[in-house]
Amino acid sequence: MKRRLILTFAALTTAGVTFGASSLESAQTRLKAAVGEVLALAGRATDKPTLMKQIGPVLEKHISFDVMTRRAIGPGWREFDAAQQKQAIGLFTKLIIRSYGSRFTIGQMPEVKYQSAAEAAAGRVDVSTFTIYQGSRYSVVYRMEEAEGWHTTDVVIEGVSMVANYRSQFDPVYKKGGVSAVLAALEKSAARSE
Amino acid sequence: MTMQRRLLGLMLVVVCPLLTQCASVGKGKRAGVELSRAGEAAAVKDEKSVVKAEKKAEVKEEAPVVDDLDEYSVVDVADPLERMNRVSFWCNDKMYLIVFRPISKGYEKVIPKRLRNGIFNAFENAKYPVRLGNSLLQGKFKRMGLHTEKFLLNTVGGIGGLIRVSDKFPKLAELPDEDTGKTFAKWGMGHGFYLVIPFMGPSSLRDGVGLIGDYAMNPVNWGVFWSGSHDWTAIPPAMNTLRALPGQLALYDETKRDAIDPYLAVRSGYVQFRAASVKK
Repeated sequence: MKRRLILTFAALTTAGVTFGASSLESAQTRLKAAVGEVLALAGRATDKPTLMKQIGPVLEKHISFDVMTRRAIGPGWREFDAAQQKQAIGLFTKLIIRSYGSRFTIGQMPEVKYQSAAEAAAGRVDVSTFTIYQGSRYSVVYRMEEAEGWHTTDVVIEGVSMVANYRSQFDPVYKKGGVSAVLAALEKSAARSE
Repeated sequence: MTMQRRLLGLMLVVVCPLLTQCASVGKGKRAGVELSRAGEAAAVKDEKSVVKAEKKAEVKEEAPVVDDLDEYSVVDVADPLERMNRVSFWCNDKMYLIVFRPISKGYEKVIPKRLRNGIFNAFENAKYPVRLGNSLLQGKFKRMGLHTEKFLLNTVGGIGGLIRVSDKFPKLAELPDEDTGKTFAKWGMGHGFYLVIPFMGPSSLRDGVGLIGDYAMNPVNWGVFWSGSHDWTAIPPAMNTLRALPGQLALYDETKRDAIDPYLAVRSGYVQFRAASVKK
């Protein structure tokens, strides 16, 4: 009886460890592929407008913009109807892609060093990296979540979470003016010149 | 002299309670609780405050989330001077545009990038006493040794710090910076409240007071303290500001352009950044 119990426990533990290890590995592999794809694109680009145009589809493939938008807006999201949610996701996607793309300087490639990956919760892995760009070194943590494959749901640069930062901005806008105010603010920011 | 001492005493009396008060007012689950923990640690001393802190934590736990993995909160800090800070923020914005940006552009045009990087590195290297002093004040003795190793390596091998040789060694390259604001936080002080300092930008009462310590410990500024100071003593601090301008303005531009509300974006970014650096 005892032996059976030990064997069952051992089998369960091994399965758990294997599952944990495999999710860490697959999240990290997915991130490496995404970063590699973006860097290859940046390396080939000869001018910024071309890079900005090409980078969008690649980011949309690897980043879960709907999750990002929902969490950036916060609890007010529930008051958005389907059309408003779609509009908000579209605008926020545009904003993030522009923000991400504009950080690249043609001819200067960042170097990404992968540090560690940790399973922060079931279905969520945080991958820590160091990015060296233009002589400076930044700690960047990619928050990866599994939903039809691994996708990035947040980027934390030097401790600053992009999603948390936007939530701090959207919260007072929503509390003051509701859904329409959030959409108007998003429209205004997305329309801002590059 | 007596008057000066009285004023100093009065200032300390006013500043100390503000520094020890809890500053973070996050509303969400984990992030908010973690961010406010440093500030709360100082305040939670007797039973009453423990009960208060527990009640606060309960409120945070009940904060609404949008899905199972949503653990974000409104990362914030007490900002009773928001109106004044927003005016200061606006003035700084104009100051950057009218005064600092042309100076920064001129500096970038005149000095080649490699030399600019070298100057930047040398001034960072010179801040060694700030890092050493604050490591000591925080009781991080091992880190004191590492900072000394980094300084010696960059000074000797990197021609006075112009080249950051230490980047080749991961344990030195990833060594976190230290400053007086961080020391205060390690001692249990909360932010106090948020401040936008004219010309300098985002800070808090705690970190603002900390800047005085950083200024005094930075050898670049020591000339200013000499009696009968000469004009040349202003050159190193001015150069120190100049070398940091291009990077800081680029960061500011990015934050402003992509923000919904630039003031809130900078405030949230500042609080998160400081919370993360205190943990290192």
